[in-house]
Amino acid sequence: MKKTTFTMLLLGTLLGVAAPFAHAAPDWNKVPKRDINVFHPGVTPIEWINKKSDHSGTAGLKKGESCVGCHEEKGTLNFNFKRLADKELEPVGAPKTAMYPVAVQAAYDAANLYIRLTFKAPAGGVDKGDKDNEVKATVMFPDAKVSQAAQVGCWAACHADARTMPGAADKKTKYTKEGSYELMQWKSAKGAKAVDGTVTGERKMDGGTLGAKAEGAKAADTYTVIFTRKNPGEGKTIPFGLAIHGDHASGRFHHVSLGYTLGVGADGDVKAVKQ
Amino acid sequence: MAGKIAGLWAALRKPSAKYSLLGLLSLGFVAGVFFWGGFNTAMEATNTMEFCISCHEMRDNVYQEYKKTIHYSNRTGVRATCSDCHVPKDWSHKIVRKIQASAELWGKLMGTIDTKEKFEANRLRLAEHEWARMKSVDSRECRNCHSFEGMDTERQKLRGAKMHKIAQDEKKTCIDCHKGISHNKPKGMKEEDE
Repeated sequence: MKKTTFTMLLLGTLLGVAAPFAHAAPDWNKVPKRDINVFHPGVTPIEWINKKSDHSGTAGLKKGESCVGCHEEKGTLNFNFKRLADKELEPVGAPKTAMYPVAVQAAYDAANLYIRLTFKAPAGGVDKGDKDNEVKATVMFPDAKVSQAAQVGCWAACHADARTMPGAADKKTKYTKEGSYELMQWKSAKGAKAVDGTVTGERKMDGGTLGAKAEGAKAADTYTVIFTRKNPGEGKTIPFGLAIHGDHASGRFHHVSLGYTLGVGADGDVKAVKQ
Repeated sequence: MAGKIAGLWAALRKPSAKYSLLGLLSLGFVAGVFFWGGFNTAMEATNTMEFCISCHEMRDNVYQEYKKTIHYSNRTGVRATCSDCHVPKDWSHKIVRKIQASAELWGKLMGTIDTKEKFEANRLRLAEHEWARMKSVDSRECRNCHSFEGMDTERQKLRGAKMHKIAQDEKKTCIDCHKGISHNKPKGMKEEDE
């Protein structure tokens, strides 16, 4: 009898300890995957995007078209990758893999929104500026005040005079001219803390309001990163963009996604599943 | 000598007593055909790619750039040569263009673009002239082969399909967007040209 009581107690304790986390672990097998391709963008900041002689799609953007609207088709991105790897747009050198898919899943409960990224970050990068982290995974959410937020994803924060851009000083980070982004990042270095930051006039790697947590692991050659952030509100569709710094890349030498939308109990490119 | 020329002129002006009017007309007709044919053949010779790249200014610069583009080499082997884009097809516009082009001989003589550096220094100015010409004629030379009517946007990449719909709605002309498709874009393009 004592043994049974003990077992029950132990079980009860375990359940009690596990209960607060029970909702924090969606059954990802039941959450659909949406492949989002990330690609090496070279030097194509928002100034480039909005200059017609550089980017013929500028006219489309002015009409309200999104990057995805023109560039994502048949499960891939229709960029001229030769041009993106050319010296003019990538003076330092392009990574061996121009584009790869990231499987994105999302789920939510009353308190939180969970985003799971699964990807194989390929080697063959050119810039290895981040010695500590082999991989970093970042999600950014623009607010409604960011210019063209729903169209351009992270691009409104990407400027020609930011650090690691050709000829730019080392001081400026990502920044916005209006509005702000919320930023969360997972770093692969052992013991590295998840970043809960913002991008406004400058990028801050702390002081964010997402309550962001991140866990990641590498199994064989596949990374799985799970972000937890506070639920933005059921029924909302929020814009977001991804960035993966693979192979110790730093600064602009990331692979990024275009701007997508995430529906929390609402329509979106990625639909979060209610837990 | 002066007497001989005066004599010849007098002979030419004198009505013929020896040859019939029909004979003279026939001779004139045949000579006219030869002259006209010769003139056109010579003009057509200036329309060939070989003629265009016989000058190193074209051969070393724009021709090298054009060789990397779809107008030079493509799946079906239909090639658009220099004159297809830069010289009107119909005779009246063509002769006007050819007369204008004779001014380029002056540039050749003066060596305006006889080095790579000089070419690059003048590239924007030269390109702007050609863009203005193309725009003024609603991209007529492009439209000798391409038309919105013949275009199946369903078979285009999404980015092209969407832009072509906008272009039609806004009555744009080809060159409004398709600058630098066969040659490098000049540096320092003006915003209204972009």
